[in-house]
Amino acid sequence: MVALFILVPFILLLILNLPFKFLNAQIAFWLSAALFLIQALLALVHSWLPWSNYSVPLGQFFKFKLALDPLALIMLFTIGIVVFISLLVAKSTITTEKRIFNFINLLLISLIGMNATVLAADIFSLYVFVEITAVAVFVLMAIEKNRFAIEGTFKYLVLSMIASVFILTSLAFFILASGDISFVGIHRAFLANSNIIFLNFAVGLFLCGLFIKCGVVPFHGWVPDAYSEAQSAVSVLLAGIVTKITGIYVLMRLFNSVFVLKGTFGNVIMLIGIISIVFAALAAFRQDNIKRMLSYSSISQVGYIVLAIGCGTPLAILGAVLHFFNHAISKSLLFVNAASLEKKFGSTDMSIITGLGNQLPVTSVTSLVGLLSIAGIPPLTGFWSKLIIIIALFNAQKFAYGWIALLASVLTLAYFLLMERNVFFIKTETLGEDKGGVPFSLKFCEILLAAITVGVGLGLPFILNSQILQLKGFLH
Amino acid sequence: MKNELVLLLIIFIPIIGALILPFINKISASFRNGFSFAVITFSFVFSFLLLPLVLKNQVITIFRYFPLGFNFVLTADNLAVGMAIVASFISALIVLYSFDYIKHYENQNEYYSMVVLFLGAMMGLVFSGNLILLYVFWEITAVTSWRLIGFFREKKHILRADKAFLVTVFGSLLMLLGFIRMYQETGSFDLFTIKEVVKMHPISNLTIALILAGIFSKSATLPFHTWLPDAGVAPSPVTALLHAAVLVKIGVYVFARIFVATIPISLPWQTIIPVIAGISALVSAGAALVDTDLKRIIAYSTISQIGFIFLGFSLSNEIGIAGGLLFILMHGLAKAGLFLCAGIVEQNVKTKDITQLGGLFQVMPVTAVSFLFCAFSVMGIPPFGGFFSKYMIISGTLQEGHLLIGATFLFGALLTILYLFRAFNLVFLGERKNPSLSVKEGSPLMLICVASFALLSLLAGIFIAFPNQIAQITAQQMMGIR
Repeated sequence: MVALFILVPFILLLILNLPFKFLNAQIAFWLSAALFLIQALLALVHSWLPWSNYSVPLGQFFKFKLALDPLALIMLFTIGIVVFISLLVAKSTITTEKRIFNFINLLLISLIGMNATVLAADIFSLYVFVEITAVAVFVLMAIEKNRFAIEGTFKYLVLSMIASVFILTSLAFFILASGDISFVGIHRAFLANSNIIFLNFAVGLFLCGLFIKCGVVPFHGWVPDAYSEAQSAVSVLLAGIVTKITGIYVLMRLFNSVFVLKGTFGNVIMLIGIISIVFAALAAFRQDNIKRMLSYSSISQVGYIVLAIGCGTPLAILGAVLHFFNHAISKSLLFVNAASLEKKFGSTDMSIITGLGNQLPVTSVTSLVGLLSIAGIPPLTGFWSKLIIIIALFNAQKFAYGWIALLASVLTLAYFLLMERNVFFIKTETLGEDKGGVPFSLKFCEILLAAITVGVGLGLPFILNSQILQLKGFLH
Repeated sequence: MKNELVLLLIIFIPIIGALILPFINKISASFRNGFSFAVITFSFVFSFLLLPLVLKNQVITIFRYFPLGFNFVLTADNLAVGMAIVASFISALIVLYSFDYIKHYENQNEYYSMVVLFLGAMMGLVFSGNLILLYVFWEITAVTSWRLIGFFREKKHILRADKAFLVTVFGSLLMLLGFIRMYQETGSFDLFTIKEVVKMHPISNLTIALILAGIFSKSATLPFHTWLPDAGVAPSPVTALLHAAVLVKIGVYVFARIFVATIPISLPWQTIIPVIAGISALVSAGAALVDTDLKRIIAYSTISQIGFIFLGFSLSNEIGIAGGLLFILMHGLAKAGLFLCAGIVEQNVKTKDITQLGGLFQVMPVTAVSFLFCAFSVMGIPPFGGFFSKYMIISGTLQEGHLLIGATFLFGALLTILYLFRAFNLVFLGERKNPSLSVKEGSPLMLICVASFALLSLLAGIFIAFPNQIAQITAQQMMGIR
C-alpha cells in the first residue's frame, strides 16, 4: 500500500506521456494538482487508514523495502503542500503551454524521488532516490534558458555531484563494515561495535556530502545562486522542500535512528548549525535582491534544524521536525510573495520595487505573516518550533548554543524588516513599472500558506497534545 | 453569566474584533470607528463587572493542560482586573479622540485594527497566568506597536518604528531566556506553581536579571530607553496609547506580577532596582529639560515617571506597592491627557518645536487648561491624583530607610515640575511667534477627551479614598497578607 505514494505518480507520469491529443497541459495540471492534494490529505488522515502506524515490507514489487512511520507522514504532508503550491505558481508564471507540460512532468519525477526518499528503509535506495530528485530538479532549474539560470544550475550540479561522490564512497564503507544496506542492519553493526573505525569514517564522509546537499555554511556557495536565478516556481520547490528532503531529512533519519555515535559528531553538527544561523543571517543584510535575501535566510533557518538534530535529544528532534515543517511553509510563502512581485513588476531587486504601499495588499500582509513566523514572533508557527529547540538545548545543558540561537532571532527580524521597509512601507515617488496584475492563483497560494502559518501557530499546543505526541514511535 | 466566560470574552472580543475590522470598513468608515470604540468599551465594562468579585478576594482561574508546560492559564485577581480597567478605559477615550484626529490620514483600517488588537493583547497579557502565554501576548503588543509607530510612511518614521520593534524584541528575547531558565529551575511556566516552588528554591540572579532586561526594554528604562522618545514620530493618539498609558505600563505590570506577586525579590535587587530606576528618572528628566520637541519632552517625562513606579514596586512595604499601583492609574490618565493636548497643538499649528510656539492660551484655552491640569497631576501638586501616588512612594521609601534614594527621587520630582512648566510656558504663554497663522482650537470631540483626562486627574485626587482603598487591598493581596 505504501508503494502507492510512489506508484501513482509514476503511473500518472506514464499516462500523461501517452501519445493522445487530449492530454494537454490543462489536463496534466488538474490531474497532478489533485494528486498532490490527495497526498497531503492522506498523510493528514493517516490514522483512518489501515497502514498507518506500522511499516510494510514490499518484496513483491521492488527489491527494496519501504517503511512508513510518523516522521515520513509529516514529510509526505509537507511535500504534498509545497509541490502543490509550486504547481500553482508555475501555472501563473510560466507562459507557454509546452513548458508548463514539461514542468509538470519533471515535477512528478521529483515528487516520486522525494516520496521514495522519505519511505526508503535502506541506505542505498535512499541514495538513489535522492539522486533522482536532484536530477529532476537540475533540469527544472535550467528550464529557464538564460545565462544566470544555467550558471546557478551548473554550480548546484557540480557541488551536488561532489556530494554524491562522498556519499557513495561512504556507502561502500557501510557495506564493508556491516555487510548490509538496510537501516536495521547498519544500526545493528553500530550496536555490535565491531569495525567502529570504518563506520565512523563512513559517517564522516557521509556528513560532508550531506552538508553540501543541505547548503549549510561553509558549504552554502551554491544556494543563493540556485534559489534566486531559477524560475519562481522552481525556487519555491527547491527552497521549500527539495533541499530539505535531500539534505535535512536524510540527516534527521540517519543521525538519530540508524547511526549510533559518540558526542563528537553531534558537536560538529551543532557547530555547523550555529555557524550557519549567524553567518547566513549577517550575509542576508547585504542582499539587494529579495530572492537572494530569502536564500540566505533559508541557510540560516536550516541552521536551526541542523543544530537541533545535532543536539539529538527527543525534544530537540521534535523541534527540528516542527521547524522543518514551519520553514517549508513559511519560506514557500515568502518565495510566492517574491513571485507575485516579479510577476507584477518584472523584478525582485529591492532598488527597483520599492514603496509599493498598498498596491498589493494580499502580498504585503501575507509576507508580513511569513517573515514574522520565520523571525519567531508568537503566536505564529516559527515561534513554537524555535522555542522547543531552545528549551531542548537548555535541557541538554548546551547553554551557549541556546543563547546564540535565540538571540540570532533579532538578526532575522532585522534583515526582514529591512526588506519589508524597502518594498512595502516606505513612500517613494519612483515606482517600478507595472506589468499587470497578480493572478488569482498566486493570491490563493499566499492566503493558503499564511492561513496554515497562523492556524498551526495558534493551535500548536493543541496540535502537539492531540496529534503529534500521539504519533507513536515519533520520538522512538 | 459565568465569570470564566466573562474573562475569555474580555480578551477575545477585541482580538477577534481586530481581525474582522478591515471587513467592517466595507460597510462604512464611521461604523468601523464606532465598532472599535464599542469593542474596547466592552472590555472595560466587563473588566469592571469582575471588580466586586475580586475585591472579595475571589480569584477566577481558567486552566487547561498542554504538553511541555505550554498550559493555557488565565487568572483574574485584584492586580489583573485593576490593570485591565485602567488600560481599557484610557484606550477607549483615546480611540474616541482619534475619530477626529486620524480621519485626515491614510491607512485608517490598519490603525483601528492595530489599536484594537493591541488592547486585546494587553488584556490577554494582564490575565495570563503562564509565562509562555504572557510572552505570546507581550510580542503581539510589540508587533502592533511597531505598525502603529510606523503609521506615517516616511523613511524616518519607518526607521524609528523598526528601531522600537528591534529594541523591544531584543529585550523580550532576553526575557524569554529568563523564562526558560525559570522553567529549568522550577519545572513549570505556570505562575502559581512557580510561586510555590520558589518558597523552597530561590531563583538565580541571572534569571532575574534577564527577565528584568525584558521589562526595562518594554518600559523604556535606562539603558533601553532610546526608542521611546524616537517613537514620538507616531500620531499623537498612538503615542498617548503606547508610550504613556498602556505599552510602557506592560513592563511595570509584569514586574509587579512576577517580582511582587510571585517571587519576592532578594535583598541585593531591592537596592539595584531603585538605583537603576533613580538613574533613569534623573537622566531622562535632564533630557526633558533641554529638548525642544514637545512630544519628546513628554516622552522623556514618561521614562522619568516610570522610575517612580519601579521604585514603588521594589519596596517591600504596603504603602510603596499601593503607591505604585495608584501611580499607574494617575500617570496613565495625566500622561494620556498631555500627549493628546500635544496632538491638538501639533495638528493645528503644524509644529512640535516649543521654541516656535507660544501664546496659544488665547486661541486654545480648553487645551491649555487641560494641559496644565494634567501637568499638575504629573508634577504631583495637591490635590491632583499624582500627588498622592508620589507621596505614598516616597513615604514608602523613607519607611524602608532608603534616605538617599528618597532624596534622589525628590530631586527627580523637582525636575519634573521644572520641565513641565518650561514646556507649558513656551507653548501656551508669552507672545505668538507666528501671529499671521490662524490657529483654531481642536474639534469638540477631541476637546471632550482631553478635558475628561484633566478632570479625571483632578477628581481622582479629590476622591482619593476610593482608588486608594482598592490599591491597598490589591497591595495586601499581592504581598499575601490577606
